[in-house]
Amino acid sequence: MDHLLLMIWHALLVSVFFAFLWRSTAAGRRNLFLKTFLIMVVGAAALGWLMFPFP
Amino acid sequence: MTAGDSKSRKKKPAETVKEQPSEGKSRASVPLLLGAWFLPGFGHLILGKRKRAMVFAAVVFCAFITGVLLQGEIGTPKPESPFSWLAAFACLGNGVLAIGRLVWLNGLGGLLGGFPFGLQGGGSASAAGFAYGNTFLYTAGLMNLLAVLDVSDIARGEKD
Repeated sequence: MDHLLLMIWHALLVSVFFAFLWRSTAAGRRNLFLKTFLIMVVGAAALGWLMFPFP
Repeated sequence: MTAGDSKSRKKKPAETVKEQPSEGKSRASVPLLLGAWFLPGFGHLILGKRKRAMVFAAVVFCAFITGVLLQGEIGTPKPESPFSWLAAFACLGNGVLAIGRLVWLNGLGGLLGGFPFGLQGGGSASAAGFAYGNTFLYTAGLMNLLAVLDVSDIARGEKD
């Protein structure tokens, strides 16, 4: 089981959902999808790095 | 005239503004909302939002199936754990998917007879993906409930 892949899959589903829920134009949906997807994936990776020194 | 009377008089204009009926504030029909909850995407389909309906149905279905494949447990109420009601609420948001899974696990008789504390939610707590599976199941249900609220907004004319 690949944890990173699961996280990316989860982020993808949630981002697509909210892009279609909150935006009605194609450009708006694309922008929101990219924003939320990147925030979730990159943010989780960054948090993982920040937590690395802690036991 | 007392001070209280003058205060209540001052408030009247604001209250009058609040009570004015505005256009598109009617209630969404209950069968529509129930259908939107029971079948993910159905509410949007009825309202003519085909693209959104397909995306919502696909997202909720994929998240739910992923949760089940990862050995996640459908939340069921447990007497010793009040928070289990929240998990049950989130999972029941999946509509027919959650009910179908509960029927699959408990049988129809078991579902009706075991409600609410005797239900089996499936999954395996010792499985590596148990927590991830639960997360997918909860997320799918909550997303479907948000979609139901979206159907309500569209039906009332507050959103396109």
